[in-house]
Amino acid sequence: MAKGEYLGEFEHIVLLTILRLGDGAYGAMIRAEIERVTDRSPAIGAVHATLERLERKGLVSSWIGEPTAERGGKAKRHFKIEPAGVSALKNARQILERLHAGVSLRNVTA
Amino acid sequence: MRPPTVAQALVAAVAPATDYEVIAGDLHEEYVRILTTLGATAANRWYWAQALRSIPSLLSYSRSNASALRRIGVAFTAFGALVAMLVFVTAIGMLLRALFGSDSLPVWFWYCIDSGSAVVFGAILAILVRSDGPRVAFGASLFLVACFVVPALAGNPHSQAPLGAWIQLWAVIPAMCIGAGLYQAVKRTA
Repeated sequence: MAKGEYLGEFEHIVLLTILRLGDGAYGAMIRAEIERVTDRSPAIGAVHATLERLERKGLVSSWIGEPTAERGGKAKRHFKIEPAGVSALKNARQILERLHAGVSLRNVTA
Repeated sequence: MRPPTVAQALVAAVAPATDYEVIAGDLHEEYVRILTTLGATAANRWYWAQALRSIPSLLSYSRSNASALRRIGVAFTAFGALVAMLVFVTAIGMLLRALFGSDSLPVWFWYCIDSGSAVVFGAILAILVRSDGPRVAFGASLFLVACFVVPALAGNPHSQAPLGAWIQLWAVIPAMCIGAGLYQAVKRTA
């Protein structure tokens, strides 16, 4: 796997969040879910910049929805994970599992 | 109740053209949710924090898949605007020096508002390229500064200038970005 094909930490988090939320997830929903699960509050700009990067890599695809009143008449951009995105997540998980194999964190002091 | 106007304008100034509506909508949706649960102060504080923290990310990407022809057109437009700005600034400076002398009050006044002309040209550039004005203005102003800095670093004797002139030159970068950002914010929020 080439260097540029590995997932960055935040890319990994965003991709997993889209998978958790299912097809049709959008920026505010993804941001709120990341905040709820990880207890860190990412900037909406960082979420969208990461989503654009993931889309450029072919890991997710997007489409524009209808404008709604609750969003001040603004439309949503919905996201869907692509097969390449699922492969990237599987690969990232395998790498982490291989790295964790045979390593015990119990006796390591923080 | 609406989100803070200045913070909204900030997002409008820096967001990429293709995603501005989407990002503004996402912010609005969460703003309304916080407003109903935690109140106006918390919602306004949250909106401001999001707007400020989003600036670097929003400036760093663009969904634009403009054709090579359009990119060349934008580059030529930016170059033309830079040349026009330099000719305008130099001509006014020379005219004032010829009329009133080098150390006269009008000449010093002109030095003070020199960066103001870069703000105006940043806005003109944003009008000409129509989308992602701040990004184009940033690239164009960086190119302009490089045109002076590179020969100076290479030791060109014609590139020696007093410190004040270098400060004025570097000030062109934020000035042009502010001009382009202001135009974009006004256009999108009007």
